[in-house]
Amino acid sequence: MDREMSEICCDSEQKSRAKSRTLNKKRYNPVTKEIISELVQIVGEKNVITDEEKMEPYSYDETPKDQYAHMPEVVVTPHTAEEIAKIVKLANRELIPITPRGAGSGLSGGAIPIFGGIVISVEKMNRILEIDYKNMMVVVEPGVVTNDINEILAEKGLFYAGYPMSVETCFIGGNIAENAGGGKAVKYGVTGRYVMGLELVTPLGDIVQLGGKRVKDVTGYDIKQLIIGSEGTLGIVTKAILKLIPLPTAKVDLLVLFKDVKTAIDMVSLIMTEGKIIPTSVEFMDKLSVQASCEYLNEHLPYQQAGAMLLIEVDGNREDQVEEDAETIGELCLKNGAIEVYVADNYTTQERVWSVRRNIAEAFIVISPHQSLEDIVVPTASIPDLMPELERISKKYNIQIPCYGHAGDGNLHATLVKNPESTLEEWYEVEDKALRELYEVTKKLGGTLSGEHGVGSKRKEFLEMIFSPAEIELMKRIKRAFDPNNIMNPGKIFDID
Amino acid sequence: MNIVIPIKQVPETSNVKMDEETGTMIREGVESIINPLDLYAIEVGIELKEEHGGKVTVITMGPQSAEKALREAIAMGCDDGILITGKEFKGSDTWATSFVLSSAIRKIGTYDLILAGERATDGDTGQVGPGIASFLNIPLSTYTSRIVEITDNTIIVERLIEDGYETLQMPLPCLLTVVKEISYPRLPTLRGKQKAKKVEIPVWSADDMDLDKSKIGLNGSPTRVVRISHPRIARGGTIVKATDEESLSRAIDKLINFLQEKNLI
Repeated sequence: MDREMSEICCDSEQKSRAKSRTLNKKRYNPVTKEIISELVQIVGEKNVITDEEKMEPYSYDETPKDQYAHMPEVVVTPHTAEEIAKIVKLANRELIPITPRGAGSGLSGGAIPIFGGIVISVEKMNRILEIDYKNMMVVVEPGVVTNDINEILAEKGLFYAGYPMSVETCFIGGNIAENAGGGKAVKYGVTGRYVMGLELVTPLGDIVQLGGKRVKDVTGYDIKQLIIGSEGTLGIVTKAILKLIPLPTAKVDLLVLFKDVKTAIDMVSLIMTEGKIIPTSVEFMDKLSVQASCEYLNEHLPYQQAGAMLLIEVDGNREDQVEEDAETIGELCLKNGAIEVYVADNYTTQERVWSVRRNIAEAFIVISPHQSLEDIVVPTASIPDLMPELERISKKYNIQIPCYGHAGDGNLHATLVKNPESTLEEWYEVEDKALRELYEVTKKLGGTLSGEHGVGSKRKEFLEMIFSPAEIELMKRIKRAFDPNNIMNPGKIFDID
Repeated sequence: MNIVIPIKQVPETSNVKMDEETGTMIREGVESIINPLDLYAIEVGIELKEEHGGKVTVITMGPQSAEKALREAIAMGCDDGILITGKEFKGSDTWATSFVLSSAIRKIGTYDLILAGERATDGDTGQVGPGIASFLNIPLSTYTSRIVEITDNTIIVERLIEDGYETLQMPLPCLLTVVKEISYPRLPTLRGKQKAKKVEIPVWSADDMDLDKSKIGLNGSPTRVVRISHPRIARGGTIVKATDEESLSRAIDKLINFLQEKNLI
């Protein structure tokens, strides 16, 4: 309710701010009636949306709507790679920007049509085309909900492991575009590790096959890996071959309370170096995050005494082994200053401990809908040095910066939350300054802007804080080689001048 | 204070799939957990023990695998567990189950308080708690929401009733079935888990309890399941279209009338 109210209140500001962000709009041509009818010819009337109200859900992702949303001129929902290729050729001919879109659950504005133009939503390309047991691979279309893949495979004892946190909504296409990570990356890695092959419609409208069902392949450049994580700027994935692994059948979670952040973070490497165990996940929550989430959930864990918590998961295919690993880690935690170790080895308790972690973002939206959910990543050993810096920035700008995330891989969702007492103008100013300071600190510690959410339109103005001009130019040259007319998701990662 | 807590192991039903043909639940691959509502009774038991001393014993009737539920309760802080198992118990209805559990509690001997969950999430009857009290001929408070005071021989409790709360004073021993608001169940700790792993759990059969076998299992159960049918969802919605000022004000009137008829405004 709070969130809706504030969205309505700041409608006028929303418009002015959105306007300032649409640069170089004149470079592209508008979508005319003639173009709409050509699109209708390609995909059929049912798959062309021009009604403002129906297009509105395609104007934003999970970044704050009032800051980043932008309306498309038309939305198309094609069924095949051939249809997409025709649309892309049309867009090149007419110089109209294209924004590819998955489920819209992104956190960097990657699927937002910031120059208007055509949104290509892959929502109707949602078939699982083949389950190849012998090769342990699955072939899917980009609009398949990632979680559905695992539901279907579970019956066969198989598992797609590159799976992120927003499990119930996100599409595999979006996961590939962002090279999504998530809570299990410590052990299983991220999306890119499991993508064996891609079918891609290039920004010029060619349909190409990259990679395949081959475990080894050094024939030519590995363009497939370049596409993974390219945020939809180098083409539209229309098919993906994913590697599968045997489904782990046993898992145990430990929720560990520590007196302070440092004790908690020091534990992360000890699990692996001393415990000799690679856990499935090591999630970190600072005091602020835990409190907000527990209050939001009416969860009565003794969190008041804890300065930080770790949520550690181990999984495997033998119950006794998994239990033993959990016990080893638990003992190690107690030996190294843990206040308490809770064990969750069944659905009831596992849901309870994970919901504390999963509801942090929601809990802070209740406190203030205006926030910047960040995705910084540093070498894991640098996390203890990062924490006092967060506190310093938070004090300096009088904002809350709860910090939680994937401690096991150094990827932390420090979130800048607007002080409810400040005005929106003040917030936008503070947000920009505080972000710059956060990124500077991150860089100094050997880190970077984003571990799994991407640069998109949200972070592009900060890119030069991380890369040298030569590095950025290299990326721009790749972009130009793929997309000479700059029509494929323009204005994401960087602007092409 | 010696406390006995009968618990039940139930299938985890939040992701359950139904067999379309038979209308029954597909149990394969479904995890068994402690009946979620029993956790509140377990928590109250442990809290009372921490305050007044004594011992908490959890008991359950079920297959051998129900031992896991007992160990989880011990990991939370209960002291002992007793597993009642054997094929002679199979098919017991709530009457026979209450009979078996009350016999087990008699065999345990001295007890001051019996705590039970409000009902099990699978059968949803809420009959076994009261059934045990009736077989043991001890006072009962259902829907207990708060324990106000315990003295040597009596307990004062609040129970949830339709219009509010009712306060009861009862002699001990007695049986309470508890509702969610009575406590916040704790999570088992590593130390608790380690202890629970080592605890020896006695296994009792009908013979161990000298039970009259005509009163247990399917044959001893007065309840017969004649037919299982699905409830039909008859939830209807009305859409009132408003296209202009006039139809909008008509629609608003209609809504107000509707809410007034239902005594909602």
